[in-house]
Amino acid sequence: MYDKSVRRRRAVLAALVVLSLILLTAYFGEAPGGRLHSVQRGFLTVISPIQDGANKALKPVRDLLGWAGDTLHAKGQRNQLVKQVDRLRRQLVADQAEKQSYRELLALYHLDSQLSIGNYHPVTATVVGKSPNIWYATVTIDKGAADGLRVNDPVINGEGLVGKVVQVASDGAQVSLLTDSTFGVSARLSASGATGIVQPRVGDPNDLLLQYLPANTRAQPGDYVVTSGTVSSGDDSLYPPGIPIGQVTSVNEESAFRSVNVHPLADLHNLDVVQVLTAARSSLPANLSRLAASLPPGQSAAGGASAEQLASTGGGR
Amino acid sequence: MTADSSLPLLVRIAALAVVAVFLQIGVISEVPVFGVSVDISPLLVCFLGLLCGSVLGAIGGFAIGLLVDLLLLQTLGLTSLIFTVLGYWSGRLRELRDPQAALTPLLVGAAGSAAAMLGYSLIEFLLGVDAPVSLELLREIVVGVVVNTLVALPVWAIVRRSLAGSLPDDPRRRRRRAYTTGGLSPLSRA
Repeated sequence: MYDKSVRRRRAVLAALVVLSLILLTAYFGEAPGGRLHSVQRGFLTVISPIQDGANKALKPVRDLLGWAGDTLHAKGQRNQLVKQVDRLRRQLVADQAEKQSYRELLALYHLDSQLSIGNYHPVTATVVGKSPNIWYATVTIDKGAADGLRVNDPVINGEGLVGKVVQVASDGAQVSLLTDSTFGVSARLSASGATGIVQPRVGDPNDLLLQYLPANTRAQPGDYVVTSGTVSSGDDSLYPPGIPIGQVTSVNEESAFRSVNVHPLADLHNLDVVQVLTAARSSLPANLSRLAASLPPGQSAAGGASAEQLASTGGGR
Repeated sequence: MTADSSLPLLVRIAALAVVAVFLQIGVISEVPVFGVSVDISPLLVCFLGLLCGSVLGAIGGFAIGLLVDLLLLQTLGLTSLIFTVLGYWSGRLRELRDPQAALTPLLVGAAGSAAAMLGYSLIEFLLGVDAPVSLELLREIVVGVVVNTLVALPVWAIVRRSLAGSLPDDPRRRRRRAYTTGGLSPLSRA
């Protein structure tokens, strides 16, 4: 009985394996138009309607499973894309910062070449801190006494005058900006040559006031205001003449002295690279004085620089 | 097992095989999991062998393989050969060891899936299919085995439930009988 069962089992296995091998060999060996291929195609033809019906009936299940799979896949993709966006955003920020630094350095280079700033022993510094209040009246730079900086040294950037040094440490310094309430600098209108004092306008941190101009001063919006190269008070630095400060926005005629509103040329909210003129007190290049004196009305501000040159240094806003 | 008593079982096996193959082709193959598709057909063959024995396992494997080959226009006999061996092997496992552990279907499913995939690859290479052996192929095989293993227990439950009542020698029934027919009960020995 046992032997018979074993024999039958082995015979079944052997028969099926042999049958499979025969099918395999015959199918593999015959041409695509052969008998087994035809049987297979015939079977498929018969079964196709059933298969189609089953496919349609199972479509909701397939869609449901597909939806679940797609959702999981989409979540994975989303996480991946979020990481990618973060990485690209960081890269963009870094690139923009580099671009900004490059632009400022380029502007400084242009200003240097126009005003011969090199004679004032400029020290290039990076702004490392800004006053957290909304007025942005002071910034901290990464150069200090060790680099030759002293209190009251003028600070410029590629667009024009930025402020002056008010405190100096060995490796850092605090710079008071043009808009600081304590700030004042003697300036003149490039168009008429009339001189006055530029101070922050009370109540507007983004605006300056050039006041104490003679009553007969002719000024119009768009005129440039530049440093006059004279001392406005005993504590002030001697700013080199011809450094652009701002542009006239409106003229006030309500008092005995005339005053004009001036919008600073330097973008004080976005300072990155500045230069401190460490030899401003001792150096007064003759060519700068001469160039400042010969500024054509309404044309230039920066020591003989044309309006286009001013624009290229950011002074033409 | 007489022809009359095995007829319901054969009908159930045939119905289960047809439904499973259509389900595999129509739905399961179109839903990738971890980049591969679950293949329940080797699991079905293994579990048929595990429940019905080596002869029915081999016959079921051959039939399911033939159906798959016919429906998918594959090389005729290829899947039949692999599934015949698979069904026979799992049937013999039951006949020789009669494993009752809860994880048996999981292990049998994993081993069966791995054997089927390796068997496919081996025969395809023997037939001269121009596919380079690569890490990607190995990865697909490994992931496929893992995914099949994950679904082995649910498939086992469905197959066993579908065939329940028609099985020639249900292990549970056999155990119950062993304890109640004298001679084998631990109580009777005492």
